[in-house]
Amino acid sequence: MRRGLSLVLALIAAAAAFVPSSALAQASETAVKAAFLPRFARYVTWPAAAVPKNDDPFVLCVIGDDPFGGALDQAARSQSIDGKRIIVRRMGTAAGVDGCQVAFVGGTPSQPVGQLLAAIGRKPVLTVTDARGGGQRGLIHFSIVGGRVRFFIDQAGAERRGLTISSRLLALAVGVRQ
Amino acid sequence: MKAIPKRISAWRSAPVAIFIAAIMIVLVGVAVIIQSDNSYRDARRDFAISQAQILAASAAAAVDFNDPVAAQEAVNPLRVITTLRSAAVYGRDGQLIAGYDRSGEAVPALEQGIAPASSDLMRVSAPVEMAGQRIGTAYIQLDRQPVWRRVSRYGTLAVLVAAASLIILGLGFAQRALRSANRELANRAEALAQANEMLGEQMEERAKAEDQLRQSQKMQALGQLTGGIAHDFNNLLTVIQGSADMLCKKELPEAKRVRFAKAIVQASENAAALTSQLLAFARRQPLKPERLDLNRVLAELQDLIDRTMGERVQVSMKLDGPGCSVEADKAQLQSAILNIASNARDAMIDGGRLRISTREANEPGGRMIAIDFADTGHGMDAETLDRVFEPFFTTKGAGKGTGLGLSQVYGFASQSGGEVRAESAVGKGTTVSLLLPCLGEAEVRQVGEPVERAAAPQRSAAILVVEDNDEVGVFAESLLSELGHKVTRASSAEEALHLSRSNDFDLVFSDVVMPGMGGLKLAEVLAAEKPALPVVLATGYSQEIAETGSGGRPVILKPYRLATLSDAIAAALHEGHEAAG
Repeated sequence: MRRGLSLVLALIAAAAAFVPSSALAQASETAVKAAFLPRFARYVTWPAAAVPKNDDPFVLCVIGDDPFGGALDQAARSQSIDGKRIIVRRMGTAAGVDGCQVAFVGGTPSQPVGQLLAAIGRKPVLTVTDARGGGQRGLIHFSIVGGRVRFFIDQAGAERRGLTISSRLLALAVGVRQ
Repeated sequence: MKAIPKRISAWRSAPVAIFIAAIMIVLVGVAVIIQSDNSYRDARRDFAISQAQILAASAAAAVDFNDPVAAQEAVNPLRVITTLRSAAVYGRDGQLIAGYDRSGEAVPALEQGIAPASSDLMRVSAPVEMAGQRIGTAYIQLDRQPVWRRVSRYGTLAVLVAAASLIILGLGFAQRALRSANRELANRAEALAQANEMLGEQMEERAKAEDQLRQSQKMQALGQLTGGIAHDFNNLLTVIQGSADMLCKKELPEAKRVRFAKAIVQASENAAALTSQLLAFARRQPLKPERLDLNRVLAELQDLIDRTMGERVQVSMKLDGPGCSVEADKAQLQSAILNIASNARDAMIDGGRLRISTREANEPGGRMIAIDFADTGHGMDAETLDRVFEPFFTTKGAGKGTGLGLSQVYGFASQSGGEVRAESAVGKGTTVSLLLPCLGEAEVRQVGEPVERAAAPQRSAAILVVEDNDEVGVFAESLLSELGHKVTRASSAEEALHLSRSNDFDLVFSDVVMPGMGGLKLAEVLAAEKPALPVVLATGYSQEIAETGSGGRPVILKPYRLATLSDAIAAALHEGHEAAG
């Protein structure tokens, strides 16, 4: 695990210091986002009904296009939440979102991000979107600020869905909508 | 005195104890400071650890998301800690995420190694954990407080400890000083005792010297008096002897014989007066107040005053005051008058006038008669005047006066219910006034005066004359024989007693002062043995009679004259006869 992370970090460092090419930058950007995704779960409290029971794992869903690939699986494996594993599920529609605690909404040409978010509605799911995927924002929205991967948080939206986001995470956000 | 050395020995070990106490206090103070410093360092360490833990917790999310800005935001609040040298947050692999260094230098990565902690740095770290996993490290380096700051923190305590030690040491030194002072005091007390002893000896010597001086003064006075008396008596004796020699001549015309006899009588009277005054002056008269005519007392004293004042002082008496009788001891009154006169004389060394006068004075205390003694001497200033009646106060040179003269006057006046006053001014003379209560019109008493009358028909009686002096005895015997009595003579009281037991006498005529049994004792014994036997006593001067009286028996004062003796014998025989009859 450590080796993996160090690899990621080394990639980040390499990307920042020596390889300013856009392709490489985008690749490392995706890796960082992949590393972030399972970690968000630690700073979020779900309603009791939405928390996985017993030995059930936390479910991290990727709805629509998956920009992460194996990097996300690797990141998920390296993390755990309250001793529960994290598994990654990829799905084309929002139909199976009920089993997800965290959902990266990628959008597809047929189903844009906004539509998918609308489909998820007020379900207690921590939705994550990316600025590269369009202007529609989930509860957490990746953005590049100052050449670094940062994120916005919609705290009000989270509350409406029964989610509580830790102030520590809020402190890391570029902006918080309240 | 002996208690002091004991007390000193009890305190001898005190300075050592005090020194030890001072050291103990310093040691305890140092121990308290070290202990306090240790606990302070522990507290600082706890503080640093807690700060590192807070940093670790607050930077956890930033480390988790590798967010240097957020991590820096977690680090920055620590800057308010004044002793913060540096603070840093490191990632899982020791890479620096955010840091702060007070000196502005870059904070090195953990894996590059941080400079080892020096003695003035305190370094603590705390793990940054997330979900039970260590994801990084929080580091804090604090300045240790410089030694001088720590010392100054305990400055108050140190000052207190130092003060306490100083006080205790001061006490020790004071104790030591006190001890030496005590020793000094003891020495001085001893010296003082010695000085006191010496003083006592000196006082004793002085008293002895004074006694000797007084004795020699007495002897000198006695010599003067003796010389004066001898001179006067020689004059009188010259008259008596010469007249007696002339009387012894045969075929002397009757007129001349009477003249020489009268001259002898006159000279004897003068001699008698002289001795009487001497005795009065010597205060050897019976000490009892009697009613006296003041003017008369003064008149009697005129001769003596004249003699006392000498030739340079002219004495005038103007006794025209009221005829007052006063109650006073005659001898003391005479003495007082002579004392005042003597003082007046001494104030007039170059001569002058002394005027003695009497007058009536109405004082608050009642009617008084005053005797004024006004001299024309040098007078006195106010200060001297204030003290003039003080005993032993004298303006005269050593050996010239006792300083008791006027105080005797004062004492006498007070005792007699009167007072004495002095008025004076320098160069204007002095007036001393002796005031005595006036008891009424003077009764002129004729005491001891021979009464000129025809000799009463004398009953012949058997008389035992007791006289140790042969001449006086023969004289008395011849006088009594002349009066027609049958005289037996005894030369001592013992012989008289013996004779009286074997013979019947009508009267005993005895001298008072005799070797062996005296006249008074003889009279007492005879009174017990033969109560009806009258005793007549004769004396020139007797301390005994002056002090205790004669027990009611008639006393004839020597020198006595024929008429006096005759009257006294006749009266005693008459009384004895009446008592017997």
